[in-house]
Amino acid sequence: MESGFEPVSPEIQGGLRIQREITRLLAPVALPLVALVLRFGFRYRIERLAALRADYRRLCLQNSDPTIICANHLTLIDSFVIAWALGSPWWYLRHFRTLPWNVPERTVFATTALLRGTMYVMKCLPIQRGGERRGITEVLSKLAYLVSQGETALIFPEAGRSRSGRVEVDSAATGVGRIFKSVPKCRVICVYLRSEHQTTYSNFPPRGDRFHGRLDVIEPKTDHRGVRGSRDIAHQILARLADMERSHFDDRK
Amino acid sequence: MDQTEIFEKVIKILTPYVKNQEALASVTSDTHILDDLKVNSARLVDVVLEFEDIFEIEIDDDDVDSVETVGNAVALIESKLG
Repeated sequence: MESGFEPVSPEIQGGLRIQREITRLLAPVALPLVALVLRFGFRYRIERLAALRADYRRLCLQNSDPTIICANHLTLIDSFVIAWALGSPWWYLRHFRTLPWNVPERTVFATTALLRGTMYVMKCLPIQRGGERRGITEVLSKLAYLVSQGETALIFPEAGRSRSGRVEVDSAATGVGRIFKSVPKCRVICVYLRSEHQTTYSNFPPRGDRFHGRLDVIEPKTDHRGVRGSRDIAHQILARLADMERSHFDDRK
Repeated sequence: MDQTEIFEKVIKILTPYVKNQEALASVTSDTHILDDLKVNSARLVDVVLEFEDIFEIEIDDDDVDSVETVGNAVALIESKLG
């Protein structure tokens, strides 16, 4: 197990605890609101919603190992839809650690004070993809700390929306691998979620569309160290997501 | 391997990833890899893995954070080569 990151300072740990508690306090309002917007505002539906949530519940209750959720990425609101697909507001209120922390793109989701505030209370840590490396590492180290404390993190291993509309295994970023290596006994829940008329990447899934989802647990292993090891782990996760994508399209035939 | 040789090899490795060819023509140690050469940040990992292969070194995740300029890359490789 590689150490991965500089230890998170007590001040930052305290800040994250405060953010978590504020988020928890507002969750009884925020979580149902998000679910209502997705269901009745965007009129999205999720096929086999109960089964998907049951699978996630089972995995969460099975053990309390540190968990990273890794998913395919096609739209700006994927993290919201994924959280909605995996659990009801009621479930998250009772098992708050299973509501994943997200890393939305800072240049999209943190441009105004209102957006920044909204992201703050939605368990988000904005990140600037392609930005200064130290800034990215700082956010990743916070995520690694949270995961090590029993929180759940949602990460897109492609580090951006897939431009081809399909899982791009060769686009593996190293962030997820770096977090995985730094947290002992970490497990990865792969989530593949896609709406029926989502042909390529976009800002939002088509209004009124029906989503199909599946999830699987993997435990990546690598003999490599350093950057190569991180990339290897991300590759394994994306390869699994690509398999899930093939199954998704096979089922749709 | 001296610094000049490392520098030349680094530029050769970077070249396929560079989007700003003009900046490449006047590259110096101070040239910023992402900002000046416009190398895609996601591709920086591929560059680092090529450094590992070509120079037969191992680069830690933390080390990548220190690589901003061509000179940083050369210094990192030089330190790894001992």
